Order: sequence, then C-alpha cells, then structure tokens
Amino acid sequence: MLLNPELNKTNAELLTENIIYIKERNISMLKNELVLKNPLRRMGYQSDDILKGGEFGAVMARAGVGKTAFLVQLALNSMLREKNVLHISLNDPVKKVSLWYKEVFNRIATQYAIHQSAQLWDTVLPHRFIMTFRVEGFSVPKLEERLTDLIEQNIFKPHAIIIDGLPFDDAVNQDLADLKNLASRQGMHVWFTVRTHRHEESGPGGTPAQLIQVADLFEVAIQLVPVGKQIQIKAFKGLGSQGDQPDLMLDPATMLIQDQA
Amino acid sequence: MKKDIRNVRNIGISAHIDSGKTTLTERILYYTQRIHTMHDVKGKDGVGATMDSMELEKERGITIASAATYCEWQGHEINIIDTPGHVDFTIEVERSLRVLDGAILVLCAVAGVQSQSITVDQQMKRYKVPGIAFVNKCDRSGANPDRVVRQLKEKLEHNTVTMQLPIGLEADFEGVVDLVSMKAIYFDGDKGEQVRQEEIPSDLRQAAQDHREMLIDQASMFSNELTEAILEEKKVTAEMIIAGIRQGVVERRLTPVFIGSAYKNKGIQPLLDAVTRLLPCPLNVDNQALDMNNEEQPVVLSNEIDKPLVALAFKLEDGPYGQLTYIRVYQGALAKGDTIINVRTGKKVKVGRVIRMHADQMEDIESIPAGYIGALFGVDCASGDSFVAPGISLTMTSMYVPEPVISLAIFPKDNKSEVNVSKALRRFTKEDPTFKAYVNEETGDTIISGMGELHLEVYIERMRREYQAEVTTSPPRVAYRETITQKAEFDYIHKKQTGGAGQFARVAGYLEPVQDEDFVFENQIVRGAIPTQFIAACEKGFKNSMQKGPKMEFLVTGIRVVINDGASHSVDSSDMAFQAAARSAFRQGYAKAKPVIQEPIMKVVVETPTDFQGAVMSTLNQRRGMIVGSQDEGPFSVIEAQVPLSEMFGYSTNLRSVTKGRAQFTMEFLTYKQLPQSIADELMKKAAEKKKNVA
Repeated sequence: MLLNPELNKTNAELLTENIIYIKERNISMLKNELVLKNPLRRMGYQSDDILKGGEFGAVMARAGVGKTAFLVQLALNSMLREKNVLHISLNDPVKKVSLWYKEVFNRIATQYAIHQSAQLWDTVLPHRFIMTFRVEGFSVPKLEERLTDLIEQNIFKPHAIIIDGLPFDDAVNQDLADLKNLASRQGMHVWFTVRTHRHEESGPGGTPAQLIQVADLFEVAIQLVPVGKQIQIKAFKGLGSQGDQPDLMLDPATMLIQDQA
Repeated sequence: MKKDIRNVRNIGISAHIDSGKTTLTERILYYTQRIHTMHDVKGKDGVGATMDSMELEKERGITIASAATYCEWQGHEINIIDTPGHVDFTIEVERSLRVLDGAILVLCAVAGVQSQSITVDQQMKRYKVPGIAFVNKCDRSGANPDRVVRQLKEKLEHNTVTMQLPIGLEADFEGVVDLVSMKAIYFDGDKGEQVRQEEIPSDLRQAAQDHREMLIDQASMFSNELTEAILEEKKVTAEMIIAGIRQGVVERRLTPVFIGSAYKNKGIQPLLDAVTRLLPCPLNVDNQALDMNNEEQPVVLSNEIDKPLVALAFKLEDGPYGQLTYIRVYQGALAKGDTIINVRTGKKVKVGRVIRMHADQMEDIESIPAGYIGALFGVDCASGDSFVAPGISLTMTSMYVPEPVISLAIFPKDNKSEVNVSKALRRFTKEDPTFKAYVNEETGDTIISGMGELHLEVYIERMRREYQAEVTTSPPRVAYRETITQKAEFDYIHKKQTGGAGQFARVAGYLEPVQDEDFVFENQIVRGAIPTQFIAACEKGFKNSMQKGPKMEFLVTGIRVVINDGASHSVDSSDMAFQAAARSAFRQGYAKAKPVIQEPIMKVVVETPTDFQGAVMSTLNQRRGMIVGSQDEGPFSVIEAQVPLSEMFGYSTNLRSVTKGRAQFTMEFLTYKQLPQSIADELMKKAAEKKKNVA
C-alpha cells in the first residue's frame, strides 16, 4: 500500500531538499550583497542602471587610465542583476575581452572574500555577449543586423551595450545619431569609452574635444583623472556633476572602484 | 646531397578537393624526372597518382596522409609535402604545415575560390606560410582566370600580382605569356615536356604591356633597387622584378598568380621556376623551438649544420620494412650512426638508415642537414616527437596533447579482424597522439577515443581498408561525471557477526566539494579513534567509491573526504572492515551532499564567412550552447561558444549544410559543468530503462 510519498522519504532526503533552496538563496544573496556594495551608488545613482533606455554614457580618459576596467565593472554590476550586457570592442579580440571580465570579477571576488566565486561566475556569464569588430569594419547598420539576428533567434537580448574603442573623430557624428536611434527603439542604454588626448584643447566647460560636437547626445559623462597616485572618478555630466556628490577613486593597483565606506 | 641551403625549397601544395592538386604534383614529379609515367587520380589505369599512397585516398579522391617527396629542378632541391585539404584531420594538417617554408595554392579556373580554398588559405595564414597561386584547369569550359584573381583579392584578401596571361582559354588554351620575360611560352610534345618560347601574339601585346607595368609597380613596393631604376629611368631587369616580388612573397604581402592546366601539361615548368625563384628557402624562415628548461619559452633556431641537432618527426608510416619516420631537421644535421635523444621520452636513439622519400619509393642518403626533409628507418617514436643532440632540451612542439572528447566501442566481426584491429590500433595511436584506444575493464569492449566524430570514422575506415579489419561500432559516448555540491557528514558503523571472525569498523567525518582536484583525503583523527594502520584502508575505501558514483555510476570527482572520528575492535577490526565501512560511509554522506551529474563542456570556435554568422549562432544556440562572443574579421567571422559535448554529435554535417560547406570549426575540452535538471532526469530515466531491460 502506498502512503503519502513524503512519508517514505528519509530524514536525510528531506534535509537535502531543503538545502537546495538555501544554496540557491546563497548565490542570490551573494549577488544582492555585491550589488549593494557597488561603490557607484555613492555617486548618487541609487540603484539599478545609471542610464535609462535610449540614453548614452561616456567614460572619458587618456589611454591606459582604466576606461575598460571601469566599464567592465559597470557591466558586471548589471550582470549580477541578471541584466544582459552586449560588450562591443573595436580594439581587442574576444579572448582578451573575456579575460578583462574574468580578471575584474576575480578581483571583486577577492576584495569581498567570496567563496563560491566559481558558481557565481557561472551564473553571471550567460548575461554577457562579446562582439568584436575591426575599427574600419564597424558600422551601425552592421551592428543592427547582428543585433536583430541575436534577438530574433532568441539568443541574446541586451539590456545595455558597451562600445569600447569607437574613434570619436569627424565621422562619428552620424554613427552616434544612428546608434541613439537604435538604442531608443530597442530600449537599451549605451556606454562608450572616449579616449582623450593631453595635447588637445578642450571646449567650453572643459568638454573634451572629442565630445564637443556630440555632447547633446550624452546624458552622462564620467571622467577618469589621474591625481597623484590615485585615479579620480569625476562626474562630468549628469548626476553629481554639480559637485553635490562625493567623487570616487579607482584603485590604481586593482583598477577597481574603491569602496570608501 | 648537395649542401647549398639557398637552393632548397620545402613546399606544400594546398588546394580544394578536385582542383587538381594531385595531378599537379604528379606532373611536377614527371618533369623533374622522379617518375617516368603519369597517372591520374581515380585513374582509369587503376594505378593512381603517385602521391596518394593510401587506398582510401585513391578511392575518395582525397589526400589524408601527407607523404613527403623529393625532386630537383634547375639545380634546386624541392621537397613536396602533400598536405591534406580536409578540415577534420587537423593534427595532420598542422604537422605538415609546420614543416613547410612555402606553398602553392591551387585554384580551379572554373570553380574559383571555393569553401575549401578558403579553409586551406586560413590554415596557411595561421601558420604564416608564404605562397604563390596557381590557377589550374584553364583548358576547361568556363575557365576564367581573371575572375579567380578577383576572388583571391575579394574573398581571401590577397594582394595578388598577375605573372602570366593566358594564350587562348578553354579548349583553345595554348600557353601563357610570361610578363617578366615578355615571351609567349608553349608546351610541345606528347606530355608538354618541350618548352618553346616565342614572341607574344600581336593581339595580346598591348594587354601584356599593361599588365607588366602593373607587375613592376607592385614589385617596386618591395625593392628599393627597382624603385630607383624606375625613377631614374634605367633599364628594369628581370632579376630586379623577381627580387622585388620574392621579397613581397617572403613577407607574405604579395601573392603572384600563375596559370595553366596540369591535366593538359601546360604551365607546369614556369610554375616550378617560380617555386625556385619566388618561394623562400629555409634560411628565409624563422623557426622556433621551445626551451623545456625555461617554461617552454620560444628559442629561434639557426640553420647552421654545425650547431646541435634539433629535428621534428612530423609523420610516421608503417611500410613493408617497418616504421618509417619523416623528419625535418631545423638545426644541425642528422647522420647515419648518430646518437640522438627523443625529447618526449628522454630515450637515446641510434640512427640507422637515413633515406629520402619519393612517395612510395626511397633512396638511401648519408645525412639530413638543417633545412632538409628526410626519413629514418627503425626509429621508435610517435609523430610530433622532437629529436635533439644529447645535452640540449629544445622541443619543436609543445608537450600538450588535447584529451580526447569522444569515444565509441568497436567490435571486430571475426577472429581475423580482431587480430588486425589490434595491429591497426597500435599503429594509429602511435601516429596520432590525439587518437587513443583502450579496453574497458568492466565490459571488455575495445574503446577508441579521439577529437571528433569524423576523426574516429576515418580510422575505422582505415582499419577496413588497410588491415582488412571489419568492425561494428557503438554510438559515440560522452564521459559524464558526478560530484557533490555541499558539505555533508557521515558516521557509519560496519558490524557483522555471522559466526567465525566478526567485522567491526566505525568511520565518521564529512565530505565537501573541492575545486580543481579530483579527490582529497584528510585524516583528522585524534587519540587513535581509528588506529593508524587502518587509515590507508579507509582512504582506499573512499577512493574506490569514487570510481562509480552512487547516483548514476559515473566517475565521481571534486570531493574532499575528512575523517575525524571512528572506532575499532581489537579482534574484529581489519583492513577489509574499514574499507567496507568507508564505502558505506561514502554512500551515506554522498546522499546528503546534494550530488549532481556534470557533463563535459567544449569550447567551440567556428570560423565562418560573415554572411552565415547568424545561421551559425543559431546552430550553436540550438545545441544548448552559450555563445561567448563573435569576432568580425572582415569577410570572416569567428564565433566562440561553450557547448555541451553531448550536443555536438553530427555538428560538422549540420555546419556544412547551413554554411554550404564554407565554415569550419574546432572544438576542445573546456570544463565540466552541471547538467540541467531536465536532461539529468532524462539520462536517469534512460539508465533505469536499460537496467530494467537487462534484468
């Protein structure tokens, strides 16, 4: 005679079932904890994304100051919140971009002493897609074609896009206008790295030469400025740019945004 | 053997299947007087071309194994390495490309740049092999060398330079105009052996003049002497042009295009001239070895023959006289009677016969100097092994051999086949380090494993052909694993009192997951709760339990076992009792430790024409693949994904059909990951059914 199947289970089996939830809860708690620790919140961005759908953000700095590392942290933050990030690189191959993520993730894992880092990594990884182009081979129609492929085939629907290495030259205006259009239609926000140069004159209010023509398109601009041995994260446009929020620092050793709490 | 290394060419002939590669090789050997009759692939005379020495290749009209053959032309020594054009024999291709200094890329004048041409071109680029192009089959209807040159530029992004113009095309193809010497060249005699030079036909004169100007212009990019001559309006000599083009070829920035018809014996001799004049000699190519004493750091080798020997065995063949080892010497010289070291095994080897190969025939020589290719008899080694002079520790190939990812059981049909299968397996495993064979202890089945389905298929076919061994095979199998995901305690008493000596043992402690290790055993027993002499028995009991997981009988990995308590009995405790206790304790803890099944995940990299990118991603997505990224390389895109191995069966066929055969992929083991619950359930259901059927 069969009784209630639950009664046939040993204590050990019942215990095991309960533990599944605890384990899964652990991973999601861990994610939440990391999200809460995200130092960017100190810039006044309360939670979620700094940008809304269709908005543009720029991370401006000279070569080698840490633009990519900074954006990878923004991306990881989104991925921890299970938001998909499309990372487009015009400089580095897929392998190198992957390495950036792994490195930054490992540093965060070390900084916050996370034991289950491998499991956590496995759960965030599916939220990232890397696309690389040669600079001369990149165009907005091409990107749109790829993006449509991904979305229509249900492979990947990005919530945010990161474009690393787009040259902000004379030809960029049209590309940016097209991208803005695309981002609005798809409800995605886009982060760009903008490489500035020491010798170039900046425009009114210190706007870097690269951004003068296209500044209107950007809702947020953040500048990474080496100050002594530190790298200061300055809000240039958007929340915090009026000096009403504290500036943050990048740790030059780990390239991580410093948690000054 | 002549010793001027500047007159040596080690070349490969790369081509799409059916573009006439083997026929071209055959003609080259005929004109260089290495053979005295000509045959064709799939020949009506039943002899077959000389380079395709394997039956299977003859039948399918493809080249699988790479034979090296030697010939002479105009005082130059040419070694031709027959490279397989097929994607799936990667290790063969990689080995043969390593020993090449240059290559002829053969293209069909009718079909143009086909998928396979793209593949072989990619391989040549990957291994940085400089090349010249030969547009074959100009006698065929629909031949259009101009179109092929355009495709070379557009599809393969070659900076081409036209070296010849055709005199007539299709059925009227008579000969070629040489744009360097500005002569018309015709090929007379039954077999085109008499080369006749004439004035350029009047209707081609203007075109020839125009093309020559372009040729000089392109050559001048690589030669200051030529540029000066042009600027100062001095006479431009043939030598100047050749030197400029050669420089462009060696730098891999220029691809000269030649034309002809191997089948009709036209254009072969000028192509041979081009091999000697334009392709690099071993001195022009930097070869690197890896220093074993310095974390495999690359070391540049010198071609000097008085330096210590460094050589690579790139191909083995089992002939009627024993094992023949094809070898390329990179530094120093390899002579009869020398003692050399096999870097992989560390064993000393005495060199017996040293020979030079011509497909199936051979010729004894005294030594092989740096830059040359030859073969050794009676040397026991595996292919890919490096040989060096005693005292140095350089290796030509990394010691890393990827682990096989797919396996299947083979069953010989009869006794004779059984004997032959074992012979065949002995040879194949030696020739190809990625192919492995073993007997499954439990079932007694012979299992073969390798790098892909086709990889195994080819060997099964070869068993049949070369060893008359008929076998049937099981479906391919994936190596699943089990592991635990959380810590769990165990405390087990093994007690038996059934008359005679009793058994008593108690083992307590915990299991926990561990990363990057298969099995860790830790003894934290204090105050002799388990006497020291039984600790090893405990460890053995736990370790043996890992062989067959309690969940699905797969291998268990990634577990740390800690014992911290226990009990023994002065009379009834024994090794056996503790082993039994450990086994049961393992099962007890395991059940609580949330065991899961893991599956091998492969890193799959697909190179596809950009047009098919979307289609390829879709194929990967359908196979539970996680796409890491896509890399846009102009006409080509590279897609990287992580896909479970169990989903990769039949992928090459699938990929071929969605990309019209124009994409290729590589696959290597990446990691083990937890199987999704639905698939694990299915697997368990299948296993249960199987068990039921057996019962």
